[in-house]
Amino acid sequence: MPPAACTTARGARITTRPFGHIGLTQDTPSENLPGPWSRARGLDHEEAAPRPAPAPGFGERLTGDDPDVLRTSFIGRRLRLFWLVLKSGFLTVLTLGIYRFWMKTRIRRWFWSAIRPGGHPLEYVGDPFEKLLGFLFAVVILAFYIGIVNLLLMFVSFAVLNGNVAAYILSFVGVIPLWFFAQYRARRYVLARTRWRGLRFGLEPGAWGYAFRALGYWALTLLSGGLLWPLMTFRLEQYKSDRTFFGAARLRQGGRWTMLYGAMKPLFLGAGLGLAAAGMIALGFAGWGSTIALCAGLTLFYGLFHYRVESLKRLTATKRLAGARLELQARPWRILWITVFGYGLTALALLVPMVAIGIALSAMLGESVMTLSPQDLSLNDLGGAVLIALSLMLYFGVFLMWSAASHALVTVPTLQHYASGLVIRGAESLNGVHQRARDAHTEAEGFADALDVGASL
Amino acid sequence: MTGFTSAGEFLDGRTPTVRPSQASLDAARGMLIIACGDDTHEWPLDQIRAVPDQAGQDILVLRRADDPVERLILPDRALLSSLPKPYKRVRAVDGWRILRWASAALCSVALIIFVLVPVMADQLARFIPPEGERALGEVTLEQIRAALDETGMRPIPECRHPEGRAVLDSMIARLTRNSDPLPEITVHVLDHELVNAFALPGGHVVLFEGLIDTAERPEELAAVIAHEIGHVVSRDPTRHALRSAGSIGVLGLIFGDFAGGALVLFLAERLIDAHYSQDAEAAADAFAQEMLIRAEVRPDALADMFERFRAMGGDAEGIVAHFMAHPTLGDRIENARGATPPGFPETRLMNEDDWQTLRRICR
Repeated sequence: MPPAACTTARGARITTRPFGHIGLTQDTPSENLPGPWSRARGLDHEEAAPRPAPAPGFGERLTGDDPDVLRTSFIGRRLRLFWLVLKSGFLTVLTLGIYRFWMKTRIRRWFWSAIRPGGHPLEYVGDPFEKLLGFLFAVVILAFYIGIVNLLLMFVSFAVLNGNVAAYILSFVGVIPLWFFAQYRARRYVLARTRWRGLRFGLEPGAWGYAFRALGYWALTLLSGGLLWPLMTFRLEQYKSDRTFFGAARLRQGGRWTMLYGAMKPLFLGAGLGLAAAGMIALGFAGWGSTIALCAGLTLFYGLFHYRVESLKRLTATKRLAGARLELQARPWRILWITVFGYGLTALALLVPMVAIGIALSAMLGESVMTLSPQDLSLNDLGGAVLIALSLMLYFGVFLMWSAASHALVTVPTLQHYASGLVIRGAESLNGVHQRARDAHTEAEGFADALDVGASL
Repeated sequence: MTGFTSAGEFLDGRTPTVRPSQASLDAARGMLIIACGDDTHEWPLDQIRAVPDQAGQDILVLRRADDPVERLILPDRALLSSLPKPYKRVRAVDGWRILRWASAALCSVALIIFVLVPVMADQLARFIPPEGERALGEVTLEQIRAALDETGMRPIPECRHPEGRAVLDSMIARLTRNSDPLPEITVHVLDHELVNAFALPGGHVVLFEGLIDTAERPEELAAVIAHEIGHVVSRDPTRHALRSAGSIGVLGLIFGDFAGGALVLFLAERLIDAHYSQDAEAAADAFAQEMLIRAEVRPDALADMFERFRAMGGDAEGIVAHFMAHPTLGDRIENARGATPPGFPETRLMNEDDWQTLRRICR
């Protein structure tokens, strides 16, 4: 190998070759049987169909012949992730929630390493102790806020409004700006701890700016009856994108917000059908009206997925990074199918702990009925203690099974679908990018954790 | 495993250029030699860590414990067995720093739960108007009824047998007839075997059927009701409800979402078992004695009820366990006995038929 290989700008091209088999060692034809669930293993043949025929080497297949075009592969077996989530979730329960920082870190490491743009895995370098520290930091600040604010809201709602539904609404509204704030801070932390080919990603500070904009655009969207939704989607994405870095290179969001209206077509169709149904019912054609209403509901349901996927594709296609362009191939139907089928299977998986506990319970009750009168079956007895233990086990069993199964059956295939559709064009220009400094970010994602901003990853 | 050598990819962490390299093991010096064109990197074997939790088990991603950015990617995992400490933790955070923040967090939570929230709750409780208090009490009662239910289907029912209810109402009327002006008092009976009674904000007094079963005379039941009315008058439950509103949020924050859910349920049950301060209990006792005397009932009925709780011994739970644990229960019994003025007439609250009707309020 010529020594110059290390220093040429075309290093990326040369290097993928000796590693031709990275990631595809598991991808034997027998494992890639047709069917939705074979897709978690290695590359998806259907997705890959338009690409050149599979070459013996992995690098060739991912990059094609052109080092300037990097495709992305997703490597990972969902069963391994299932066990990882189940095991770390169990430890989280045992440690009264403290292990959740380790759980989150380990799951992220797994997902990040599964995604390999151009054959090179992403790396998540977040540290659980750092998250613990961030959590403690957030507790010092938020305990005050939550304790005092909850108390005041409760007081106000009862002193002035005579009911605590108002308190819930008020406390919810009060937390919304913090929620957006925490979301941005969490994104900043996660990007700062993400690397690809040795370079850090990053997000510039700007959480309050994001929170205010998010509030404003949400208000606009609600006031316009959803018509300005693309404006919100675009501007918030632009705010985040334009502050995102790969190394020292800044990501730029191009395009216009109106380009997202195309993604709303099914939603408009659903809304139109809904109006038609309302009209029919008002005119007395209840039968036809309700049929159309059902169609409208289904169309709107699909429309939400369609909008999410299509707007993401359009937004990705108009991003620029140091001369490189991104492209995302994803299909709304596929995401809809993964979500519906995946959560359906997850619900079925919940039956496992339920049935196990049910059998234990009926065994216990069956025995008790033989020996004890019904009054003895109160919570005061040993039987009561066992009953409480069993219901706690059921609660945690369902919780663990839900998180493990939904990670394996929904998150993996979703991420796989998006990842394997991600293409970087003009990738050679990335070779000129330099490293960026480390973002200490003391609070890690403490606020996000404390406020449960809803991101599972 | 001497003589290990493998092609690899070296990432220097300065540019995203992937540099092809040749990694070979120098077992004698305990070094991994990474030759990358003109550069040669030497990594001490005991400093090499495998990046953990990798989804793809086909490759091996290595780093140095003492360098945050350099990475070496190997096409197989053969080297792993030659590394002495591949999974030793890489220190990213100073332990003392965590300890310092942990104590700060602990202090701040303790300060909030034990000082700030109680002080504020006590102050605010004075300013809640009566209608607000009643609403707060009603909401809390619904929560408790739902929390106590074991079937998971519906809240535990209130006992409203009309004749029993009429007897109970006339007893309460007799108790409150001669007292100082009171806030509106509503007495609820819940169909549950707990031997317990508690007061909620807005003048709600809640009795469990178990308590009515345990009381042997109507006067004993009246004594407990009078004690709870004492809590109502001093607004103990309102302060308590406001305190728990503040504390529940903070505790949920600490334990995270899923454990937090179980915790909130648990706390809802603890609401029943309100632990008021010794002073608050003594004040409620004094109020009850006064109320009983004005209603021409011997105040030592309260002492009888306490002794009955004490006699339940090991089976005690709920309010009983609370009284049992209370070191001053003996004092409170003495106190109630001493409160009976000499020559106080022994009058009955109701006749035996009415008492039996009241005891069937849940049937």
